[in-house]
Amino acid sequence: MWGRVIEMMLGVWLGLSPFIFGVQSDLTLLWIDQIIALAIIVLASLSFHARYEYAHLLNMGVAVGLCVWGRNAGTPPPFIHQNHIVVGLLLLMFAIVPNRASSPPAAWRQAV
Amino acid sequence: MRVEKPVHDLDAAVYPYKYNPSSWQQRVPICLMALVAALISTHLALYQWRLIESVWDPVFGDQSAKVLDSDVAKEMYGWIGIHDAALGVLAYLGDAIFGFAGSTRRWQYRPWMVILFGIDVIPLGIVSAVLVMMQAFVVGYWCFLCLVTAAISLVLVYWAWDEVRVCLTFLYRVYKRTGSYRLLWRSLCGYRSPEADAIAEEMIQPERA
Repeated sequence: MWGRVIEMMLGVWLGLSPFIFGVQSDLTLLWIDQIIALAIIVLASLSFHARYEYAHLLNMGVAVGLCVWGRNAGTPPPFIHQNHIVVGLLLLMFAIVPNRASSPPAAWRQAV
Repeated sequence: MRVEKPVHDLDAAVYPYKYNPSSWQQRVPICLMALVAALISTHLALYQWRLIESVWDPVFGDQSAKVLDSDVAKEMYGWIGIHDAALGVLAYLGDAIFGFAGSTRRWQYRPWMVILFGIDVIPLGIVSAVLVMMQAFVVGYWCFLCLVTAAISLVLVYWAWDEVRVCLTFLYRVYKRTGSYRLLWRSLCGYRSPEADAIAEEMIQPERA
């Protein structure tokens, strides 16, 4: 589940980003970042539950949204939005990693 | 507590090699080398973001800075929205992420992961190496660390090829034997079938193929 753990860490980074980049006075951006960060963490956490094990795939949609938002914020985008592009691309790569990625898929495991 | 074990030998050698190209011994060096390239690219990206004042270059001196500040680099910055070195960091991290993901029999169990890994390492690696070389010729200056990362890209291509080859051979044999695009697609996506299982068994025991 290392992919999910790193997604959560990316969510935490995104939530802290407005403060790190010093743009916390922009309340709209601050709240959008907090909501997206929470969504990333919730989707990654849900994947630990067998019933919602594919929830992390929705993070790919979140990732694409972050990239589009960041890229359309100017040429070149301000640093906070470049951060959105970087986090989006990283999230896209991690979100595609399956749960228990280092083990064979369930079809190739048998109970002993 | 439910205990499970793999149904196959996860470390079996695979035709046409005498080793398993998906083994950790084969994949970990690729991931570590990709992480080294990511670290080098991070240094270049930090300079492009002006978070550090100079770029380290023991061979070409200040030529590296001229390459990283060139019009070509600025144009790419305008297109992508982040510096080209930062994109390089992400690409090398992608090599490491897709290299680490998957079991030691992923050439059969998760071919899509190997193909994704192959796309990230092979065509993108060759393109990035060619771009670095072209940049040197177009801009007229040389960047030592850029050349190092380009060389690492080519090494990664060489190291990754065996696993991608085995995976493509497996998928080709599935299609050739069954003539079914559906089964090919399902095998690519990692679904199990008796036909694909039989082909994989033959590949790890080539004398029976």
